[in-house]
Amino acid sequence: MASVFSFQAVSDGIVMNFRDGSTFGSIKQAVSLHTAEASDFFTGVNLYLNLSGLELAYEQLEELMELVKGYNQVNKIYFTARKIKKEEKSEENYSDAVIINRTLRSGQRVKHQANVVIVGDVNPGAEVIAGGDIIVFGRLRGVVHAGAGGSKDSQVAALKLNPTQLRISSLIARSPDDSDSSKLQAERAYIENDQIMVEKI
Amino acid sequence: MAGKTIVITSGKGGVGKTTSSANIGTALAMQGNKVCLIDADIGLRNLDVVMGLENRIVYDIVDVVENNCRLEQAMIRDKRYDGLYLLPAAQTRDKTSVTPFQMKELVDELKEEMDYVVVDSPAGIEQGFKNAIAGADRAIIVTTPEISAVRDADRIIGLLEAEGLRDPEVIINRIRADMVERGDMMGIDDMIEILAIDLIGIVPEDEGIVVSTNKGEPIALNDKAKAGQAYRNIARRIMGEDLPMMPLEKDNFITRFKKLVGLS
Repeated sequence: MASVFSFQAVSDGIVMNFRDGSTFGSIKQAVSLHTAEASDFFTGVNLYLNLSGLELAYEQLEELMELVKGYNQVNKIYFTARKIKKEEKSEENYSDAVIINRTLRSGQRVKHQANVVIVGDVNPGAEVIAGGDIIVFGRLRGVVHAGAGGSKDSQVAALKLNPTQLRISSLIARSPDDSDSSKLQAERAYIENDQIMVEKI
Repeated sequence: MAGKTIVITSGKGGVGKTTSSANIGTALAMQGNKVCLIDADIGLRNLDVVMGLENRIVYDIVDVVENNCRLEQAMIRDKRYDGLYLLPAAQTRDKTSVTPFQMKELVDELKEEMDYVVVDSPAGIEQGFKNAIAGADRAIIVTTPEISAVRDADRIIGLLEAEGLRDPEVIINRIRADMVERGDMMGIDDMIEILAIDLIGIVPEDEGIVVSTNKGEPIALNDKAKAGQAYRNIARRIMGEDLPMMPLEKDNFITRFKKLVGLS
């Protein structure tokens, strides 16, 4: 039922939004069920019926008016046609990080919505997926995906950056075929001009 | 006195798990230990063939867990060493015929009698592998100097850790000094760098293995074979001795000639 309408609180009451493309039949059914189950839902507040996106015949509107009378002690009932405000994406929070204190071996996989710090190696066949940055205090030889949620500001850093594949946001890079010096050299990969760049640190 | 259970595993097939199990078991028995080898590769049993005991099988591991026979009835005594036994796998059944729980019970019972129980694991990471590692106190991973084998070994180490089997050791099998020197084969250091576990032995590539496997005589019995020496050393390291690794010998004309003379 909840899929047919949703509620949105405003300063002096509650807006009842109907989902785009709902048929009058389903609206009728959902509202009559809601009035039966939660008749006190709008007690003391204004109810705004948001008809945006709906086309109702005169009789259907009458029917709907009849139905919403089922709510007890509603302050005032309005019909409106306002744009449904999309909930703004909350600012992604990168402050928390998970710390993995061991070597990730082939077949092991770490997935976290924020930053991932690995103290140990990431071996070939292992996978790290992070919404934020990935930092490896060791050799990175597996597959990593930083900014998996789409963040292009994410970066990958390792004491030895030699991944099977390195993804940041929606970009993919792989290590050059001849990059196999076993010397440790800390490097960092990031996105610049829609390209994955690698620099020594 | 309760003994130790050692599982020999690898992930990848064909790297020498069965050969290593047979030789480690034999070499441990040569040192005077009471040893039972268990073939956990149900449906594809091989250990009995490598040990040369195939024609003595009456009961097998599935008969034991299904209570068709007593444990002692299924254990085959080795023809060379009194303290060496083999518990063969069933050939006409599959891996699901035994559960890890049953396996653990079986191994725990055997441990009471033995100094070492050596379990030969099947390839793969499915039920057969899970059965093999159930009840193990110690794991030895066999790998060869190939990327695929090392990758699988790495995966196995992770799975063993997840099952609480910490600090496994690795045997590097079939290494060829000449190829390593030319840079055509992964070196020992490269492999240990990836796997980051302790090395318990290096077994050089040896044609004698094929011969000994076909004859059903583990190469550890052969005094002259390098591979046999390597397995005897591994057995002593398992018993806690601190032996240095055998230096790798280049397989050049002279050594090949020496071997030929030595073997013939």
